[in-house]
Amino acid sequence: MKRRALLGLIGTYAALIAAALLVLFPIYWMGITSLKLPREIYRTPSLWPHVFTMNNYRLLLEEKDFLDNIRNSVIVAGAVTAISLVVSSLAAYSMVRFRTRYRGLIGRLILFAYLTPTSLLFIPLSILMARLQLGNSLYGLVLVYLTFSLPLSTWLLQGYFRSVPRSLEEQGMIDGLTRLGALLRIVLPLSGPGLAAVAIFTFTGAWNELLLALVLITSESARTAPLGLNYLITSDVLPWGPLMAGAVLSSMPLMILYFVAQRFMVQGMTTGSVKG
Amino acid sequence: MKQHGHLTRRRIIQATLAGTTALATRSALAAPALVKGSKLTYWGGLIFSDKANKMLVETIKKWGADNGIQTDVVMINQNETVQKVSAAVASNAMPDALDLGLDLLLLLSRQGVFITLDDLYTSVGKAQGGWFPAVASATDTTKVAGGRTGLPFGITGNLLLRRNDVLSKAGFAKAPATWEELATQAAAVNKPPFYGLGLALSNVGDGNTQIGVLQSYGGRIADDTGTKAAIKSDATREYLRWVKNAWDKKLFPPGNTTWDGAGDNNAYLSGQAAFIANTGSVGIAAKNQDPELFQGTLYSALPAGPKGTVSPTDPNVRAIPKASKNPDAARALLEHLAQPEFMSAYYAEAIYGPVLQGQSTFKTFGPQDAIHSGLLDLVQRGTAPAFPDVYNAAYADAYNNFVVPKMIQRVVIDSWDFDRAMDEAQKQTQAIYDKYK
Repeated sequence: MKRRALLGLIGTYAALIAAALLVLFPIYWMGITSLKLPREIYRTPSLWPHVFTMNNYRLLLEEKDFLDNIRNSVIVAGAVTAISLVVSSLAAYSMVRFRTRYRGLIGRLILFAYLTPTSLLFIPLSILMARLQLGNSLYGLVLVYLTFSLPLSTWLLQGYFRSVPRSLEEQGMIDGLTRLGALLRIVLPLSGPGLAAVAIFTFTGAWNELLLALVLITSESARTAPLGLNYLITSDVLPWGPLMAGAVLSSMPLMILYFVAQRFMVQGMTTGSVKG
Repeated sequence: MKQHGHLTRRRIIQATLAGTTALATRSALAAPALVKGSKLTYWGGLIFSDKANKMLVETIKKWGADNGIQTDVVMINQNETVQKVSAAVASNAMPDALDLGLDLLLLLSRQGVFITLDDLYTSVGKAQGGWFPAVASATDTTKVAGGRTGLPFGITGNLLLRRNDVLSKAGFAKAPATWEELATQAAAVNKPPFYGLGLALSNVGDGNTQIGVLQSYGGRIADDTGTKAAIKSDATREYLRWVKNAWDKKLFPPGNTTWDGAGDNNAYLSGQAAFIANTGSVGIAAKNQDPELFQGTLYSALPAGPKGTVSPTDPNVRAIPKASKNPDAARALLEHLAQPEFMSAYYAEAIYGPVLQGQSTFKTFGPQDAIHSGLLDLVQRGTAPAFPDVYNAAYADAYNNFVVPKMIQRVVIDSWDFDRAMDEAQKQTQAIYDKYK
């Protein structure tokens, strides 16, 4: 019996280690490639560099101003996340709590807006931005990203808000809270994990987006991190070292964010998944 | 009554005034006054050489500073030019001038996006010994736009790169003259994981190099009218036999039917291929990061088939959109960028072949530089885009639908017989050509 338990434990750990290796190996490969010389990357692929070099990072930071790209991404993704949370909280709350005509239709339209492929919208959106004089600016990019993030955030938050018992709000309002007060003091705090999950999804989506940034941004100074990485590829020969160094740098903020918020993520993903 | 033949004072004054006005107008046309303080936006095409990219930006900025014009130079990744320009055309946000490839120039010229530049084209050509015939014919947009809309500045095309260090040890000192000879040399050095033929057979631009091979065997995409598909033929069957033989001997690296645009280059830079067809960027990359590989590499023109050599040239041009807010300055800038002082320095860093006869004397294109002299050879002896086919919108569509690489994949991956594969390709191509009738 003891032996069976031990074997079970070994099996469990073996499976977990295999799963972790499967997930971590690409990240390891990315990091290790960023520290290799070009010749070594192509000619002698190995798990450990023969010669370590920081040249890929130097090139990226000194010659390509990649930190400016990261800064732009932080501004855009941060602004989109903050605005999305505020607007979608209000939208989701009104969809869940107020009985209005065509509520169901509006809810479905919000979902359809999210499901429309970006590749169909990039030209109409670029026309809109040009007419609004917002082409080639981070403001324009924030506005465009909101058109995608708001429907998703609103749709996700509706589920979380539904799981908050209506009676809690009613009790608060009997005690003198306004409708907005009930939202701010009761519903939102109770939907914390959901808000965190939505914030992370929105931030990640805006952080990784490439196509719209590619079309809307032309100035070097306004490039976001994915765009900066994309501009490293200028022909049919790929600069793997700088690309991997850029991938390491641009994935750092996301890794930190997920590490800090993973507890909320798990809670948020499961909230409202079962009745009761 | 014969007064109108006399030189009266009034007539002399009238004639003088008319002459002065004409001269002033002519000089104004020849060199339009540049408005100080005006703005000019230029979209340059990012290329593999950072030095060349910087040189273009700095030259335009200096020209702007010298002429009192505020310049904004934006370098556009050439892989995304189509999306970027399509969006800019739709939103009326085109720059004052830009670099672009021939495909996009033809497409947009047909839509009336660009102004004509015949006078500039002629004056630049006259000043520098004339344009190379292949460049002149390929970039002629007169039929679709009523004039020339692009000022050529460089040509690209494929050279054959070979591992001379390996091949010479196997007794092959000279470049293969024919595709059959290429396969023979490749077979002699083929020892996996070192493969003889690093040629892409996938649905990317490099895979379309096979169209040229097919044409050198006498195969065609369409007939001489450029309206009827002509893929199915004995010549295409011969070509497919060549590919299938090489495939059966396992001369191609694994995965070459699904490679992306960098697959063949990765194979060569990894030291896993004896031959590849490339524009020269691989040579520059090897020079910078793998001197041993660079030393062991030699460059030559693409081999010939039974019907001769088909080595397509691909011109790049500069153009001025009709939406430009500063067309006079844009025109003056394009003229400035075409001057030998800039172009000789630019070619030394970029991977472009010359477009003007006078440029062939630049030091860069001398025999000491294997890549650039190969590009000079390409423009002198290369073939026009699509040759011997007719270069039209239907051809471009068939090209972008990878009908030839797909036909090859049917043969080597799906084991279809030649006739079945040709039938499918013929049908697909005809459907494409029918769209443009």
